[in-house]
Amino acid sequence: MTDDPLEARAIALLQAGDTSASDYLVSKHLRRVIGIAWGIVRNAHDAEDLAQEAFVKAYENIRRFREGEPFGPWIHRIVTNLALDVMKHRGKFHHEELMDTRPAARRDSTELRAETGQIAQRIDAAIESLPEMQRIVARLHLVEQFDHAEIAAMTSISEGTVRSHLSLARKKLREQLSDLYGDGDE
Amino acid sequence: MSEDRFFERLRADASALRYEPDASAMTRVSARIRARVASQPPTVAQLLASWFRPLATTLAALALAATIGIAFVPNDDAETIASNPDQISMAGDTYSVGE
Repeated sequence: MTDDPLEARAIALLQAGDTSASDYLVSKHLRRVIGIAWGIVRNAHDAEDLAQEAFVKAYENIRRFREGEPFGPWIHRIVTNLALDVMKHRGKFHHEELMDTRPAARRDSTELRAETGQIAQRIDAAIESLPEMQRIVARLHLVEQFDHAEIAAMTSISEGTVRSHLSLARKKLREQLSDLYGDGDE
Repeated sequence: MSEDRFFERLRADASALRYEPDASAMTRVSARIRARVASQPPTVAQLLASWFRPLATTLAALALAATIGIAFVPNDDAETIASNPDQISMAGDTYSVGE
């Protein structure tokens, strides 16, 4: 159940047709929604478009939304599915191009915030080098700090599969980042 | 370092990688969403609700006023008749009927 009465009220108003109530939901969730989309598609312009589409899709289906449920997991699931669709599309039509550019010449490297440290950039490059679903699951878990159940709900895969992806990702990341997180580095 | 400890530290460090859109991006996307949502045609249920809600409110107010009126008006009459069956007040004096 949602612990935010303003959110519950905004959803009730939207369900009654008052579109001005969308402002509260956008102000509360937009930043995170853009972040999730960016983590998957790695492009600011696409992430903004996906966030926009996710909110519009949520409002189009707002009457199906169950009263009292939190809005966050729902909009996170919508934007994740939209972003995964984009990745599937890219995989089908631009597979070679993407393989050529990852990870060293990643096109959006300049989008990382200037204050992001060198360690974070090493981690970012290591995550980007993972196979696609491992990369997406690892990013949602490590960067966006979602737990296994949340990632399973967002990506429509089982919790066991999420754990498998994370386990494989962990091994590869440990190999790549052994100089940062070696045995003696406590 | 254990696998779990490694992953905990990695997760703590990786949280710095969270993407933060700037203020202009937030404003831009918010405005686009607002425009898209406002241009959505209302559903049949929403149209009916927008017609029936004020109608229902008006009817409820009328029903409440009628109920209050019925509850109070007869009581006042009954009290006046019952408490003063044989008396008439005039210019500050009270007269008994029939005296």
